[in-house]
Amino acid sequence: MSAYARFGLPVALLALVVLFSLTSPTFLTAANLRSLALNHFAILALASLAMTLVVTSGGIDLSVGTAIDMAALAYIVILQQGGAPPLAILGALGGAALVGLFNAGLIGGLGLPPFLATLGTLFIGQSVQQLATNGGVPIYLISGAPRPIFAAVDAARLWLVAFAILGVAALLAASLFGRRLVAAGVGPAVAYYSGVPVRRDLGAVMILAALIAGVAGIVLSSSVRSYAPLSGNGYLMDAIGATFLGTTFSPWGRANVAGTLLGVLLLSVVKNGLLLIGVSFYWSQVAGGAVILSVLAVSFLNRREA
Amino acid sequence: MPKPPNRPALATALRLGAYLAFAAILLVFALAAPGFLTLGNWLNVLQQSAILGLLAFGLTIVVIGGGGNVVTGGIDLSVAANLGLAAAVYASLVKHGYPDALAAAATLSAGLAVGALNAVAVTALGIVPLLATLAVAKIVSGLEFVLTQNSVVTATSPFLAWLSDNGPLAVPVMAYVLVLVTLIAWPAVQATPWGLRLQAVGAHREAARAAGLPVKTYVAGSYLVSGVFGALAGILSAAYLTGSSPGSADILLSVVVAALLGVVFSPRLTPSIGGAASAVLFIGLLNNGFQLVNISSYWVSGVEGALILFVVACTPSQREAMS
Repeated sequence: MSAYARFGLPVALLALVVLFSLTSPTFLTAANLRSLALNHFAILALASLAMTLVVTSGGIDLSVGTAIDMAALAYIVILQQGGAPPLAILGALGGAALVGLFNAGLIGGLGLPPFLATLGTLFIGQSVQQLATNGGVPIYLISGAPRPIFAAVDAARLWLVAFAILGVAALLAASLFGRRLVAAGVGPAVAYYSGVPVRRDLGAVMILAALIAGVAGIVLSSSVRSYAPLSGNGYLMDAIGATFLGTTFSPWGRANVAGTLLGVLLLSVVKNGLLLIGVSFYWSQVAGGAVILSVLAVSFLNRREA
Repeated sequence: MPKPPNRPALATALRLGAYLAFAAILLVFALAAPGFLTLGNWLNVLQQSAILGLLAFGLTIVVIGGGGNVVTGGIDLSVAANLGLAAAVYASLVKHGYPDALAAAATLSAGLAVGALNAVAVTALGIVPLLATLAVAKIVSGLEFVLTQNSVVTATSPFLAWLSDNGPLAVPVMAYVLVLVTLIAWPAVQATPWGLRLQAVGAHREAARAAGLPVKTYVAGSYLVSGVFGALAGILSAAYLTGSSPGSADILLSVVVAALLGVVFSPRLTPSIGGAASAVLFIGLLNNGFQLVNISSYWVSGVEGALILFVVACTPSQREAMS
């Protein structure tokens, strides 16, 4: 890939920010940027960081939304039953960890390809949620006593995102486990014959990714004060999009934290900005897809053909 | 990772296992649900499977031409969005008083355009199919929103009524459509020069290129075919639902499952139309059986998920080919 193709993504992001700043008086206001960061960026960033870890290891996680949902389900049900907030948070992480463990068993244990394994998990997770909620009835916690835990999570969510970003970046860049993951992603056979416990690492990364998605589930259900079945799946395609848009930022075309964050920012800015400049909600979907396709085109046109 | 040893005998045994699982499930339903084994019920299943079947054929053809690797090989994630747009185009035109012929022509053109966009993105721009078709899906479902304002468009016309009705011998017309399309697509992929070359392109791109095949043309063609299948499925959907309604994206994962399960039902464990047809029938019968024995439909996706995992776990070649 030529050197400047890498910068298609950040240049496009910058151009969009300039465009929206010039065309919408509200885009660059503190209130809008705050809403953009809190509502569009935070949850997608967490889901995409989970995806980035898995894609780095050479896999893909179609059940990232399932982990979000299972965490949200456990969190809201425990709170609804009068459980203490710390217990609810532990329960949420436990629910997400179950999804991760299941994936780990399939991928690390049985050696199934990640795409199919997590597709199976996604389907099973759908059934579990439908059975638990009588076909998809949301669980609301709006009424009743005030719940300080929601406000606390709301206030902490950007810190949670920042922590996750630093954690994943440090893990991939500086830890032995992270380097092994990169090795497994680049060349699983070479990694295996070099003594990397590839299967075990692939299993471990699924659990880690599910836990990060679980945090996204806690943030999501805290902000809407409810659990809506299958709502986590709405983040799946955008998380894949952000992560793979991010690969265009790497000189080697690999998933990377900085690129993923640029991808998440691009998707969030497009969504937010198009609405602000008065593009109808429906056209904004078309425009959003066209922007993504253009960024991909610029980045891939300069790559050597596969 | 070390590749599992190549044991054809084992693979055959496991493929037979998939058929046996198929037969066992049919047997359970036949015993548990009195109406399951009747001809009328099976025709019903064929009718209800037509839309999924057409989309699965389109996706299968893309996978055949692009190769089995899910991320870098052939995949078309825009099939469901294409279905939604096609149904919306057809329903909107009929609703505004245009004749069926014009609506059909416009719908097929829309499907072809979606396929062409995918083809350009994948072959000319060189974008990885998973991402290219994901972005195209976003655009296409956005266009459906623009057209319908995210609401239900009801449409009735003579052609739609005919499609959703019974044809000769009291067999649903959509069942005829599914069988007919299967009978055309199967030999087209398995026996014509085009189909065999497409398989060569997907199986070993470099070898196909070295042998002088215009590789990109074949890959582009597979996306065009998938686009047309999406449009046809959209017309069926407009007939089945007497119009278009939002939420067509939900079918995407079922289509992916049908195409992937189809691999297991194929003689050489490669994607094929016959395999996809078997998988679609299997999924249709499963859904139908659950309804007949009165098990909550909430279980269906879980059973489908468990089935994918079981089948993939039992198929060693699948483990390497599809990773």
